[in-house]
Amino acid sequence: MNLRFGYGTNGFANHRLGDALAVLAEQGYDGVALTLDHHHLDPYAPGLARRVSGLATRLIELGLSVVVETGARYLLDPRRKHAPTLLHDDREVRLDFLLRAVSIASDLGAEAVSCWSGVRPPSVDPQLAWDRLVDGCARLTEAASKAGVPVGFEPEPGMFVQDLAGWRTLHRALGMPRAFGLTLDIGHCRCLEPEPIPECIATAAPYLVNVQIEDMRRGVHEHLEFGEGEIDFPPVLRALSAAGYRGLIGVELPRHSHAAPEVARRSLAFLRKAAGQPITAAAKTAAPPGQRRPSGTVPGPDVLRAALACVDDGGWLDEALRRVAADPSVISRLFPAAARRCGRGPVGVPGWTADEAARAVLLATLPAEHTAGQARALYRHGDAAEKRAVLRALPLLPLGPSAVELLHDAIRTNDTRLVAAALGPYAVHLDAAAWRQAVLKCVFMGIPLSVVDGLEHRADAELAAMLAGVADERDAAGRQLPADAAALLDRLTAEKGI
Amino acid sequence: MRIFDPHVHMTSRTTDDYEAMAAAGVRAVVEPSFWLGQPRTSPGSFADYFDALIGWEPFRAGQFGIRHFATIALNPKEANDPRCREVLELVPRYLDKDAVVAVGEIGYDSMTPQEDEAFAAQLGLAVEFDLPALVHTPHRDKQRGTQRSLAVVRESGIEPGRVVIDHLNEVTVELVRDSGCWLGFSIYPDTKMSPPRMVELLRRYGTERMLVNSAADWGRSDPLLTLRTGEAMLAAGFGEDDVDRVLWRNPVEFYGASGKLDLSDDEAPAGEFAGNSIKRGGA
Repeated sequence: MNLRFGYGTNGFANHRLGDALAVLAEQGYDGVALTLDHHHLDPYAPGLARRVSGLATRLIELGLSVVVETGARYLLDPRRKHAPTLLHDDREVRLDFLLRAVSIASDLGAEAVSCWSGVRPPSVDPQLAWDRLVDGCARLTEAASKAGVPVGFEPEPGMFVQDLAGWRTLHRALGMPRAFGLTLDIGHCRCLEPEPIPECIATAAPYLVNVQIEDMRRGVHEHLEFGEGEIDFPPVLRALSAAGYRGLIGVELPRHSHAAPEVARRSLAFLRKAAGQPITAAAKTAAPPGQRRPSGTVPGPDVLRAALACVDDGGWLDEALRRVAADPSVISRLFPAAARRCGRGPVGVPGWTADEAARAVLLATLPAEHTAGQARALYRHGDAAEKRAVLRALPLLPLGPSAVELLHDAIRTNDTRLVAAALGPYAVHLDAAAWRQAVLKCVFMGIPLSVVDGLEHRADAELAAMLAGVADERDAAGRQLPADAAALLDRLTAEKGI
Repeated sequence: MRIFDPHVHMTSRTTDDYEAMAAAGVRAVVEPSFWLGQPRTSPGSFADYFDALIGWEPFRAGQFGIRHFATIALNPKEANDPRCREVLELVPRYLDKDAVVAVGEIGYDSMTPQEDEAFAAQLGLAVEFDLPALVHTPHRDKQRGTQRSLAVVRESGIEPGRVVIDHLNEVTVELVRDSGCWLGFSIYPDTKMSPPRMVELLRRYGTERMLVNSAADWGRSDPLLTLRTGEAMLAAGFGEDDVDRVLWRNPVEFYGASGKLDLSDDEAPAGEFAGNSIKRGGA
């Protein structure tokens, strides 16, 4: 697994920043999550530009990537922890800090700027708090977008936005801007998310810009060293790898500063073992140059939305997304209209047309509790193009494996467009027998096997035996297998021979 | 000769028909929803049928380079069956679809109160969804059925130029012509209308608002009678432009009023891969 591990400098609170970086680089970490604080690159102290520039050089020398964290406890107010947040009356102080963090992140070449909502002050009613949060995040995201650094907004137990559902609501309220991503803390998932962690990762994958990791127990928001909590890490790391996540996975143990070097060493050894990597690996797995965002096999709704900006729909999609966010039921009329409004041409994201991209974004805008029901209904009552759009959107939606029945329906049809769309990334949820039958059906229907996601990894001896049977029948009829199927059969047969 | 058959029930036809139609110059068809030849017993049966009209059938047509559109409605005959009437709640969902270019077939079969109600309600849907309407006229008591249909159309408030009254003959043609509605003629081997009679009507009434269809279905019928009518027109001295108007431009104008009649070439063989399941024998 090609995963990149980092460590949070808030877990090195008793070290000078330069010393902390040296220790982490020495131990083999790929990067750091840098919490701006009074003793670590204080954004309010003099000589900031010079210090930022010096740090940027140092990070390059040490081969460390960086994300910028903004969770310092007493940086803005010496008396109130974490205050002011974006929810307080004096929220402009927080926003100013976050905007500084964006500039610093940009100058450091950071992969993301992370932030959270904060706890709602009792004196601020929930609606006002929400309006303030949306406003603050919108302004922050605009700045981040200009600076070319994504925001990683982190749901934090006990805070106003504390879980993935809350993040999704906020994401929608902001209009799903591309620069507004997710910082996912693995321990928090164990603490309070309803889904198992690997599923949290799978559904969050399109938006992930930063990951924090530590052990935790259900219902207790306490960051624990690995092995002291309840998390089974190998499946978690596999899920991150499978999701195509290429950003930093930063250990978040802010209460372990007293033993930081030893805890950091143990943590990296644990993670490498859980990831199946050599424990002593010194070679760093650097992020591809110029790539800030992790690239998965599926473009996120934000990517599709951004790509749709080039479509001249007279503002139809913006308005449609707003309406769907406010009233999910209106999607039943907007979804069929999307092709007429946005067109059916390519949009610059490989393999996606305007109608399918617009429909995927409409589905992704639904409040999570409506997604499964609406996806089913839109598929059930859709024409072939709508059905195809639902199938293609499935891996982008917070559904887990629950919509696999739609794949079975599509694979039963004789419509090549639907069968092909059913074999995209979401087909990972098909069991092996159903998946093999579907691949074989492609061969029969003349659908190019290039539409089958993960064919290289998933094709097995049983599929080879089935293909060989088809080859024999074709041979008897004086016909041949399609070239791609013949090549696959050859490869599988050769592997078996070895 | 390019041909747009504005009324043909392709779900009842074979791929041989598609092949022959494509060879004859048929490039686009409208398939109105109607009954199955035997009664349906539940709304679910309609749902599957409507799904086929906007899913599988366009795919089949696409294999032969023919664009396939549909009209959706509860048909007059089954409007009388209480087991089927719930489908009226399902119809609106389909009217939003890209390839649904009209409400139809609606109208009268036996001119019952139930038919009155379904007819009026669905004309209302045509107004609400800004779609044209395809009105079937009854086989029995056709003249009074046509008069009554025109009265219901007038009452509904839909613009007559967005309505076609179908299955007309020498007896009903003038009624409809004076109403401002479009005139539909179903050319059948023996019954409703024949190519020579059609040519005579075109000679007498001109080509304006005239639609010629095969209405081919599961009964004895012939999807090439549109072509035969065109040939008969030419033989009778009509010019090629007249034929093109009747067999292509008129249906394009009528259904084009839906705003959804997309005839752009880039999509003609919809979703066709290197091979396909129909021409090569299914999976």
